[in-house]
Amino acid sequence: MMRSYFLALSTVVIVTVGCSTCETCPDDCNGSGGGYPSVDSNMYHAPPAQHLLRPGPMVDGPGPGVLPMMGGAMGAGGPFSTQTSQVRFIGPAGMGIGWQIDGGFAEEQLTAPGRYNFNQGATYRLKLTNIPDRAGLVLYPSLQVYPAHPTTEAYLSHNPIPVQLTDEDIDQVDANNFVTKVIYMPDDEHQELAIAGVETLVSTRLDPGMDPVAEASRRGTIMAVIRIGNMDLEMADAPALAANGQVRPAGFVRQISGKNDEHAPPMPIGYIGADGKPTAMMMGAPRPMGGVPAYNPISGVGGTPVWGYPVTATPIGLPGPPHIPYGGPAGLRSHTVRNLTKTHIPGPTRDLLIDVKHSPGINLPDPVNYVQYEERHYGAKHHEHLKQHRASQIEHRTILDGNQMACPPGDLQ
Amino acid sequence: MLWRIEQTSSESAGSPARFVRRSVFGRTLTVLCAGLALWVTATHANAQSQRRYFPLDQNTPPGVAGRWAGLLGKADGFYFQPVRVELPEAGDVTFYGAGQQATEFAAPGQAGMLAGYVYRIKISNIPRFPGAELYPTIELLDRLHPPRGRAADFPIPITFSNEEIELALNGRLITKVVYLEQPQLANPIKLDETVPVDVLGPHENAIAVADYYGRPMAIVRLGGRIPLLNGNNADFYGDGAPIAASVPNTTENDTTAELGRMITK
Repeated sequence: MMRSYFLALSTVVIVTVGCSTCETCPDDCNGSGGGYPSVDSNMYHAPPAQHLLRPGPMVDGPGPGVLPMMGGAMGAGGPFSTQTSQVRFIGPAGMGIGWQIDGGFAEEQLTAPGRYNFNQGATYRLKLTNIPDRAGLVLYPSLQVYPAHPTTEAYLSHNPIPVQLTDEDIDQVDANNFVTKVIYMPDDEHQELAIAGVETLVSTRLDPGMDPVAEASRRGTIMAVIRIGNMDLEMADAPALAANGQVRPAGFVRQISGKNDEHAPPMPIGYIGADGKPTAMMMGAPRPMGGVPAYNPISGVGGTPVWGYPVTATPIGLPGPPHIPYGGPAGLRSHTVRNLTKTHIPGPTRDLLIDVKHSPGINLPDPVNYVQYEERHYGAKHHEHLKQHRASQIEHRTILDGNQMACPPGDLQ
Repeated sequence: MLWRIEQTSSESAGSPARFVRRSVFGRTLTVLCAGLALWVTATHANAQSQRRYFPLDQNTPPGVAGRWAGLLGKADGFYFQPVRVELPEAGDVTFYGAGQQATEFAAPGQAGMLAGYVYRIKISNIPRFPGAELYPTIELLDRLHPPRGRAADFPIPITFSNEEIELALNGRLITKVVYLEQPQLANPIKLDETVPVDVLGPHENAIAVADYYGRPMAIVRLGGRIPLLNGNNADFYGDGAPIAASVPNTTENDTTAELGRMITK
């Protein structure tokens, strides 16, 4: 009997201890962890920062964390988000960096180390020339500048994204390999140092079959992806391609160079969202700069798919044919999606009681309720001396400092 | 459970040896139950102490904390809180106000800022880092309440060390939360001229820690991004909130301000 009792007791203890400590369940800690905390704990949790921007999963629109209108009305500032990401081409030193413009390429707009502010949410075609110790080598990598994410907004508004081509990268490209470099901001659990910094994943250093973009996305938030191959985009007999993929006559090909003090902003060759897909309207308003078309497409405008609409019309609102072969009876009878997320969303408070208490409390002297005054005149008898009686002596005291009291000189005690 | 203990004791009354042995069992059980009760109580108390909800942390996008401070009524559009920026050595401090109007001072520089806004400043001409220019931001969350007419003598001190500047030049982002310490939790030690800095781990919420030890006053972010001559700098300088001149009235020997503390992430 006792043995079974202790077995039951130990079971109770183990079950009760369970996941109550932060060491065993780090997601339950009230911090900025990137996990989805459980609501079973006694602690409150904030949703991830990106979820504060939307009212709920699969629902777009301003969420509880988006209050710019109210904030502005109350006299506070607005968001300090930047629409551009500053990319810093670290090296190799002396390399010329150009980019595709409408109808051609703008060469050597920068010289490494150099910086440029690229509009976010777009992909650009770069042209790298004058690579040291690589005579005649010209590379045309694509640079994918991801939109700012709530977790990277502070970094992007204060730091450039470092991009560096190492000798190993160029050797890999020379050997006909495709190199993908992903620059990302690691999540807190993947940060080694207390001071925030970015890390770079290189495809050539990962295990075969591992996707560097997916791996970087798992570890943190991607800020930029650069893909490098050795394809020549300006072959002598190749027609020039316009931004929309159409062939452009040779007479209209533009070729400008920074050596001649000719500069032109880069032209996006594609637009992306945070997940590499067309994004919702929360990306921000379009802001054309210097002939660059508007990035951050608006949902439902200009051919951009409407957010939340299915790509293919099916009876259940999901893409894909619901029944095969076509024309046959529908085989799918029901389609159920259950949300099993544990939630605890309390309703509004009906009655609120606020207890206020000062410590130490307020303690004032009793008011004077009796004064006896006698006055002695010259010529009077000796026993009619001045006498002052106080029912409460406190009214003669002087408050010096809160709780300390002292009697003025000459006062009667 | 308690009923089971009593039942066992009554059964063992006939045998002294078994009574003693089972009494030990009973005591052990009682101690275990008491320990369990204490553990549950302590866990509950610990959970109660951590029940404070902090939706903001140092990773919150710049401007959000200031905007929320405005919603809480801390933004006073008529009070310019003096802020003093101190460098480890000599150097220049430039404040950018409305319309990106620049006002430059030799370090330390002081200017009045509005709570709830994010201000971009520039620190430059630091002898140890020749040619380096950094553009940190100051997000003012609250204001001080100095004696009347002496606001300029009680600025919020914001300091940058050589190590922080070096980290920023190497691509790191330093986030500092400046807070006015709570007297009951302040260390009873005499502070020198430098503002104490506590460095937290990457998992800790700097705003929550600052709120525990006092009243968060400002979030300072230091990185290596600079405005470009041929780039799009439209959003670089932020809200374009106005600044005001702030000149302390006291002499050098006077105490200028209560020193705050900073938390670095």
